[in-house]
Amino acid sequence: MRPTHSGTMSKLKNKKRNLEENEDEQLPIFDKDGGKDGHLDDGDEDQGDLSDSEESVFSGLEESGSDSDDEEEEEEDGSEEKSSDVEEDKAADGDGDDQLSAKEVIEPQTDGQHSKEKKKKKKAAGKEGGEESVASDRDSGLQISSQVDEYEHDTSDEEDIRNTVGNIPMEWYKDYPHIGYDLEGKKIFKPIRNKDELDEFLDKMENPDYWRTVQDKMTGADIRLSDEQVDLVHRLQQGKFGDVNFNEYEPAIDFFSNEVMIHPVTNRPQDKRSFIPSLIEKEKVGKLVHAIKMGWIKPHRPKETTPQYYDLWAKEDPNSILGRHKMHIPAPKMKLPGHEESYNPPPEYLMSEEERLAWEQQDPEYRKLSFLPQKLACLRAVPAYSRFIHERFERCLDLYLCPRQRKMRVNVNPEDLIPKLPKPKDLQPFPTTQSLVYRGHSSLVRSISISPSGQWLVSGSDDCTVRFWEVSTARCLKTVEVGGAVKGVAWNPNLSICLVAVSYDDTVVLLNPGLGDRLVCTATDQLISSYEEPEEVKDQPVQWAVAEGEGHEQGHRLILKHPKAVRQVTWHGKGDYLACVIPDNGSSLQVVIHQVSKRRTQNPFRKNKGLVQCVSFHPIRPYFFVATQRYVRVYNLIKQELTKKLMANCKWISSMAIHPGGDNVICGSYDCRLAWFDLDLSTKPYKVLRQHKKALRSVAYHRHYPLFVSGSDDGNVIVCHGMVYNDLLQNPLIVPVKVLKGHTITHDLGVLDVTFHPTQPWVFSSGADGTVRLFT
Amino acid sequence: MSQVQARFFTENKKYLIDDVPFSIPAASEVADLSGVINKLLEAKNDGHKHVEFDFLVRGQFLRTSLASHMEKENISTEEVVEIEYVEKFTAPQPEECIMHDDWISSVEADSEWILTGSYDKTARIWSMEGKAVMTVAGHTDVVKDVAWMKRGENLQTGSLVVNDWNSERNKVEARHCCRGHAGSVDTVAVDPTRTKFCSGSWDKMLKIWSAVPTVEEDEIEEPNRPRKKQKTEQMGLTRTPLMTFSGHNEAVSSVLWVDAEELCSASWDHTIRLWDAETGEQKSTLTGSKVFNSISYSPLCRRLASGSTDRHVRLWDPRSKDGSLVLLSLTSHNGWVTAVRWSPSHEHQLVSGSLDNVVKLWDTRSCKAPLYDLAAHEDKVLCVDWTENGKAIFVIILTCLDLKLNYHYPYV
Repeated sequence: MRPTHSGTMSKLKNKKRNLEENEDEQLPIFDKDGGKDGHLDDGDEDQGDLSDSEESVFSGLEESGSDSDDEEEEEEDGSEEKSSDVEEDKAADGDGDDQLSAKEVIEPQTDGQHSKEKKKKKKAAGKEGGEESVASDRDSGLQISSQVDEYEHDTSDEEDIRNTVGNIPMEWYKDYPHIGYDLEGKKIFKPIRNKDELDEFLDKMENPDYWRTVQDKMTGADIRLSDEQVDLVHRLQQGKFGDVNFNEYEPAIDFFSNEVMIHPVTNRPQDKRSFIPSLIEKEKVGKLVHAIKMGWIKPHRPKETTPQYYDLWAKEDPNSILGRHKMHIPAPKMKLPGHEESYNPPPEYLMSEEERLAWEQQDPEYRKLSFLPQKLACLRAVPAYSRFIHERFERCLDLYLCPRQRKMRVNVNPEDLIPKLPKPKDLQPFPTTQSLVYRGHSSLVRSISISPSGQWLVSGSDDCTVRFWEVSTARCLKTVEVGGAVKGVAWNPNLSICLVAVSYDDTVVLLNPGLGDRLVCTATDQLISSYEEPEEVKDQPVQWAVAEGEGHEQGHRLILKHPKAVRQVTWHGKGDYLACVIPDNGSSLQVVIHQVSKRRTQNPFRKNKGLVQCVSFHPIRPYFFVATQRYVRVYNLIKQELTKKLMANCKWISSMAIHPGGDNVICGSYDCRLAWFDLDLSTKPYKVLRQHKKALRSVAYHRHYPLFVSGSDDGNVIVCHGMVYNDLLQNPLIVPVKVLKGHTITHDLGVLDVTFHPTQPWVFSSGADGTVRLFT
Repeated sequence: MSQVQARFFTENKKYLIDDVPFSIPAASEVADLSGVINKLLEAKNDGHKHVEFDFLVRGQFLRTSLASHMEKENISTEEVVEIEYVEKFTAPQPEECIMHDDWISSVEADSEWILTGSYDKTARIWSMEGKAVMTVAGHTDVVKDVAWMKRGENLQTGSLVVNDWNSERNKVEARHCCRGHAGSVDTVAVDPTRTKFCSGSWDKMLKIWSAVPTVEEDEIEEPNRPRKKQKTEQMGLTRTPLMTFSGHNEAVSSVLWVDAEELCSASWDHTIRLWDAETGEQKSTLTGSKVFNSISYSPLCRRLASGSTDRHVRLWDPRSKDGSLVLLSLTSHNGWVTAVRWSPSHEHQLVSGSLDNVVKLWDTRSCKAPLYDLAAHEDKVLCVDWTENGKAIFVIILTCLDLKLNYHYPYV
């Protein structure tokens, strides 16, 4: 029956689709169930539509050729009966709803009989055809009451006896005119199908029952499904129970509960198995016994009777007293009353007249007793205690002010607090003693500078002279007079040029000292004289002039007239550029840079912030350091921008020196501080040294040795070891190593300038006492 | 322990005494011992005059009491102590004072003449009596070092002009101007064969020049030319160096000939280097810790003495291969030691001058303290020298800066 069903269903579906395509009333379950069939059908039908009409005639049979149909059929074999049962139930119920419902509820057992009976009837009626079977089904509702042996015809393996071919794929018969054999062995012929496409179509259009007509595969006959059957199909598709009257939500009655009832539903005696020992258990016990015999299981493991505790103090040092015990301080106790407090003290406790006077004279704080012992005749005569409030107050004070905690005295070796610095002895060489004194100046020597070879020293003094000294003997080789107190001298760092820049008043003079290799001196002179005037003369803030006459003989070569007094001169490392500081607050012209070879002057800054104290060129890179009162600004000369601004953290910077590596700067200030900046680290000082007692006047770095030096108004020169590591992770090591004394303080001024020898660890200092000193 | 068994001996035949051990008080000092010896000698020969003696115990001069000296030197007092006695060097006395106009940078004494170089750009020749014989004005710059080439004939000065000086004619003549150095020439030294000389300069180079006079210079004889430049222009005798040694990293401060083949130079780069004068190879390097100002070599004891910019005079063995062996360090100065000079006749004696205005006479046998301090100067000492005849009188010539003095210390 089922195959027919699927066939019919697919047909049905197709028809439905055709009819109700727009209504979206598709039945997904139906699709799923017979999806494959449906599709095949569709395909066949489409094909059929396109090709010949012959095929379409057998389309109902042909579709079962697929494997899925086979399976379906096999599978359906068992369910065939059931489904047919359901169908018939349906059909029956359709009529006899009322009669059946009560019966079914009360006697579920009989339902089976009922259906079987119906089935039998149906099967008997099966041969007459679909219509008849339905009709008989209708009748069967009435025959229920009649008693029939319910097992008589109930054979589960009953086959469809109308066709004896058995359970075979029906397409095997597709090429034959018959479809199988009946019980007598006669061929069952396929019903004549001479409908062509047109007939089919017309049938479809005209026959109102076309959509409910399905073909029985076994017989090949068309069966028109009754309304009940269609309804059943719909219900099944919707996932409902086939029986309309079946209430799936009936209240459950717990017939077989654990409670012992007086009248149980079944009064079955207990099983025998509950009285005989279980073999399975015996087997399990046997296994355990075996395991115990073999020693795999230890039956009597001795229980650990001692309880396990965590020993909190196991790791405690037994010798140490617990901290809280050690720290415990009992509250102060009041002194117990003694004999003197008694109302009747022994006479030795009573004070004599002198003692009493002495007691009264004494300061209350220092009295041994706070009261006078009194002798009273009896206890009743004891007056009210006058000091009660006072005594309670003192007691409260005692309790309140008593120490609650024992103060742990931290035993710190004061030497441990001092940072571990290497001993100065290990940091040698550095200058330690005064070796030579260069005497000759009659006034304070403001500035000194050493030749790049280290053979000569130049010093400029307030006595309007510049002196050239031989370093090794302190011999003054040359004295050049200039027109004013010399504020700054600077020896050209280029070895192939012999020039010294001297600043006094508003003038900077370039001197050729004529020392050293004569070739170099003459070459320098030639370099200066070979200058050619450019064609268009620019307006320059500084006047350049060539020295002539007496000045030339003294060594003057070029004279630069500035608008205001020049304080400092410094050369660029290459020796062509010369920077001058013209301190003048608010002026835009505080720093000028001269190019000697082109005799050109430029004012690098449009506006200067603050009073410029000193300037310096970076030893390697095109940077320019400008120190104002509180800040050091680092400019990039190529990009013409401010690169960094160092906060000196002091009131007034006096001097500045750049480390030959170029990444460290020291600044001396008038408020006795020396600030070391690590340019890679921060714009704040890496370290500030306050070693001098008075204002610092000058600082300097050594070119090779890790040394720097500072000179101060207190007449001391302090040499420090300042190691800068190539490793970026390691901060500079700064160790003060030596205080060099020697200069006498004149007019409250001590050391005015310091400089290092270019190759030796020697330091020169010039002082207000008119001397230059060499410390080695 | 109050008595010590001592046996006296001497090399000097004149003061020989009997070779018997004496028991002398342990607390006795040099004067006591000297009295003992004098008494013994008086007993031996009548015509003996009192002589001061100095005493050496195991090669070290006795300066304290005998007991403390023996304790310090770890000499057992149980045995007989061998004490050598020598005639005491009397303290040198200033004998002559030569006034100079300016600082004297260098001095070299001959048996007859004294040659000085000065910061007034001249070199002068003085007789032993202190008379100015000749002024050699030819330099354009400070004369830093002078050296005799041939006795009485040639002299050579630090700015590398070789002058010819004839003592008979009292004329001086610039022979050569040796050009080649790029820095100031600080030191010159003539080799023992008197055919070459070496110069050291601030330009870190050592150069060897020929000292053999060329023939054709006799054509013009104009004594006392005021300017060297004129001379060189007229004569056109510019010498070029035979050989150049480079190796020092700093200025060369002192150079000398160890022998005819070996050259020794001291430099500001803290090294003393020994060179092979023939090949120009560097033989060995002695490394110090301070700048060397001056070195001196004694062929008698084959030691090198160096004065550096600390307070020490150091003695080196130039033959040692390991290079940096300081045999002895003589410490008594308070300033840079600017000049050292071994005695040409006495193997133990050297003299050193320092910037602390003191010249010290040392004996290597008493390295703790100098024999004598010659503190007659009032300013820095830049150079010292001995006269060449080591026989009767040794003269230490010192230069002084401010007073422009030359002292002769006669020394018997």
